[in-house]
Amino acid sequence: MFEFAIAGIQAPIFLLMITGFTVGIVGGFIGVGGGYMVTPALIVFGFPGYMASGIDIMHIAGKSVVATVRHRQLGNIDWILGLAMVGGTMMGVEMGVRILNWTKALGLSAIALLTGSVVIMLGLFIYTQIETRRAHKRIDEISEAGVTVGRELKATRFSDFWQSIKIYPIVRCHVARIIISLWVIVFVGVCTGVLAGFFGVGGGFIRVPALVYVIGATTHIAVGTDLLEIVVSAGYGGLRHFMSGNVDMVAVFWMILGAMVGAQFGSIATAFVRGPAIRYILAYSLGLAVVGAFFRLIYLLTGQQYMFLNLFAVVFTLGEMLFLCLFIGSLVLFAVQYRRGKWVPAWIPALVVKED
Amino acid sequence: MAEAVDMRKFRIRGVIKFLIWTTASGALIVFFWVSYFNGTIYRHYYYKANMDGYAINAFAIAHATKDTPAFLKIGPFESVEGLQAAPVKKGDRLPGNATGIISKKIVGEGKRAALHEGTLKVMIPKEIREARGVRFIDTFKHKGVETNPWGAVWSVAFILFFGASLGLMAEGFTDMMGLKIKKIKHYEGVH
Repeated sequence: MFEFAIAGIQAPIFLLMITGFTVGIVGGFIGVGGGYMVTPALIVFGFPGYMASGIDIMHIAGKSVVATVRHRQLGNIDWILGLAMVGGTMMGVEMGVRILNWTKALGLSAIALLTGSVVIMLGLFIYTQIETRRAHKRIDEISEAGVTVGRELKATRFSDFWQSIKIYPIVRCHVARIIISLWVIVFVGVCTGVLAGFFGVGGGFIRVPALVYVIGATTHIAVGTDLLEIVVSAGYGGLRHFMSGNVDMVAVFWMILGAMVGAQFGSIATAFVRGPAIRYILAYSLGLAVVGAFFRLIYLLTGQQYMFLNLFAVVFTLGEMLFLCLFIGSLVLFAVQYRRGKWVPAWIPALVVKED
Repeated sequence: MAEAVDMRKFRIRGVIKFLIWTTASGALIVFFWVSYFNGTIYRHYYYKANMDGYAINAFAIAHATKDTPAFLKIGPFESVEGLQAAPVKKGDRLPGNATGIISKKIVGEGKRAALHEGTLKVMIPKEIREARGVRFIDTFKHKGVETNPWGAVWSVAFILFFGASLGLMAEGFTDMMGLKIKKIKHYEGVH
């Protein structure tokens, strides 16, 4: 047990390191900060709610730097796209915070937050699931025809519309191989930033699908570029939270040590899989988060009478971290077996790459 | 043969990278813990008072109840030790060990804390309150405390440098182990 003097609690260091480690794996793999998973975990460990969000956002800033360094080595970052989006994201985050304060003044914040997050995450979960299943099916069909399938295959042309908008200045993103209006990138940054600011999260679970489906980046590049965005937005969030007195730096320190190892696994694991595999994990992460948020919403709507609903929400959120880590671990394990020519389940070859 | 030489060079570069960034990470860790033990981090957090009242150490009064209140000696203490309270005004630097402020308004109300024969009598150090349908425990910890804005800059800068240093150390480690992590070929094959 370690005494966290600023948070005013005692908690075992290994729990913080394990949380950092598991969220590091998930975050490094699907490009999210993992705020919606870490905050409930920290509350369970005894940290006050406001401290949990502050510690979470500060640790996300550090963890995202670790993952960004590795994604840079893997060639998953489009710096032009990332930096072009930063301004819009920051503007959006500020707008989101103001909308949140406005709903707070109306006395609606907790319910508005949860209802909004359930609707948006459910929508993204359904869309990502359907699109990824179609892409999975197409990969199977193309492979059966004996054609080499690349890293990425999407079953949507939604991004073509956005790329066809020719409002100057037009930006050429070399790594992502996209030519797109700067205003579209800024618009996406603002929209995802508003949601991130409103929900008080890094926004990765919204920005990665936006980068894939709206901007048209490959999933790997979306993950790497989003982590770069998160460094900026979580760094800014960390600054604001610290100034509000919500950060215990010692807890952040221990979490970063665990996240450092986890982020390595998560980032390197992306080299073993195709885009749809990452999108599946992202979709499942959204789906499970919806269930957790739904239980919490019902708990609040019923006047906090039924404690088991809150317990279910926490169990789902913590279980989600474990489930996603196991899923990512098994994907990598099967990818290695597939490369060695050993038996793998029938659904695996479409999701992993044989060699680079 | 040429491949083996390349790999050897790659691994030597990895060893150098690993050593440099391990040293940097180690130095940052030492710096962090020195800042922790000499109280710098604590002072970043408990910096100034943002309300008029009495600076107290919330841990010292945590077990007080209506039946067994805590009586805090009032004085201009440089450091609040146990059952002590130092009067502060908005904008004053907080005395050492202070973790919260009991505002003059609360003392004036006399429900949770009150002045009693030259001491500050604390009866309800924590109470369950409800705001917009959500119940929470309200304590004096962190109440009326302003953090140091430079402390916030210091913390974010530290975290970013530390993350970069750890990331590059890990990169050096995999290079040193001969795990050549190549750039992903995003656009080969049908996509």
